[in-house]
Amino acid sequence: MAWSTCTATTSCLGGGGGGVNAWSMMSLKSALPSIPTTRTPSLRFPLGPHSPSCQVKFTHRKTPKALLPSYTGLSMQSTLPSFGSHGDSTSFEHNFIIIDNGSRFFAMRHGKKVPKLNRPPDQRRALLRGLTTQLLKHGRIKTTRARASAMRKYVDKMVTLAKDGSLHKRRQALGFIYEKQIVHALFAEVQDRYGDRNGGYTRIIRTLPRRGDNAPMAYIELV
Amino acid sequence: MIMAVSVEPLVVGRVIGDVVDMFVPTVSMSVYFGPKHVTNGCDIKPSMATNPPKVVVSGHTDDLYTLVMTDPDAPSPSEPSMREWVHWIVVDIPGGTSPSKGKEILPYMGPRPPVGIHRYILVLFRQRYSMKDAVIQQPATRANFNTRAFANQLDLGVPVATIYFNAQKEPANKKR
Repeated sequence: MAWSTCTATTSCLGGGGGGVNAWSMMSLKSALPSIPTTRTPSLRFPLGPHSPSCQVKFTHRKTPKALLPSYTGLSMQSTLPSFGSHGDSTSFEHNFIIIDNGSRFFAMRHGKKVPKLNRPPDQRRALLRGLTTQLLKHGRIKTTRARASAMRKYVDKMVTLAKDGSLHKRRQALGFIYEKQIVHALFAEVQDRYGDRNGGYTRIIRTLPRRGDNAPMAYIELV
Repeated sequence: MIMAVSVEPLVVGRVIGDVVDMFVPTVSMSVYFGPKHVTNGCDIKPSMATNPPKVVVSGHTDDLYTLVMTDPDAPSPSEPSMREWVHWIVVDIPGGTSPSKGKEILPYMGPRPPVGIHRYILVLFRQRYSMKDAVIQQPATRANFNTRAFANQLDLGVPVATIYFNAQKEPANKKR
């Protein structure tokens, strides 16, 4: 019913309508941030060759940084059932993910060249080395999604070095992987395993979040 | 009875491809290890799976089903030289009941993954005829089992339901 959705979203807006008794869709619509797809009536897109220039004018008016104006609300998580017993069903906090970069949530990856993994560079390198060593040793590991997707590049690099097979590449691999038996085993078996495959030697399967900190987890495995 | 269950988790987890071929699920099967209900790709501890699970098969009572549980990642997912390791074979399960009412060809063995995270797959086939009188050989060894070949041998066709879970060796010290 429309009533239940009203109370859910307005409760998370910090109870701005403290004195309002009657919920109405008008007050709800004014309270929520306007979605940028709404156009002002004065802006008309003429057909034909003029539309690109009009397009440029329109984007200039938007805020340069965020597509959505930053709002104190929280974004809905996809429909996952709540894990464990979350007591009262009227609290909706656990359905929303907390956006902690100052409420700036981007749908795109602009400018993010390297996954930092919340670590200084030396620790990051050590983490990735350890993770690739363990993946090559066990074949399938479970870790957080960010780490799994950051690892892919390094695992593929190791498999490519092994495919080449020369002494120089072997020594380069030995400098990256922590255990030398794994390097030797990799160099021995990679030809029959990945001989035909060009790239993409891993697969990531997303799975349920971790219980302790609700971190999104994933399995990463060698294809 | 066609269930609206998608096979996508099985494709993503490469169950379809490694163990079975593409099929359309027609029977719903629920597997419970104790209180835990098994969903595709969930984590089950080997200590919880030492006893055979409770499997509830939907379907007509006059239909007979065969259940096979295998592990395609034996002994390690990066080197599955013993693919597949069969854990359990039960035939002649009447629809709507559990494998305890069927004939157990191969006794249940719990998951004991030595290295890495293994997938354990439960495949359900519908039998065309009863095997109550047939003498079915136990496989000589549990290793290097082939579910497709087994299904061909018993003329079972494509599976009607499949579910899989993951398990890994538990650490010796209890973490939590």
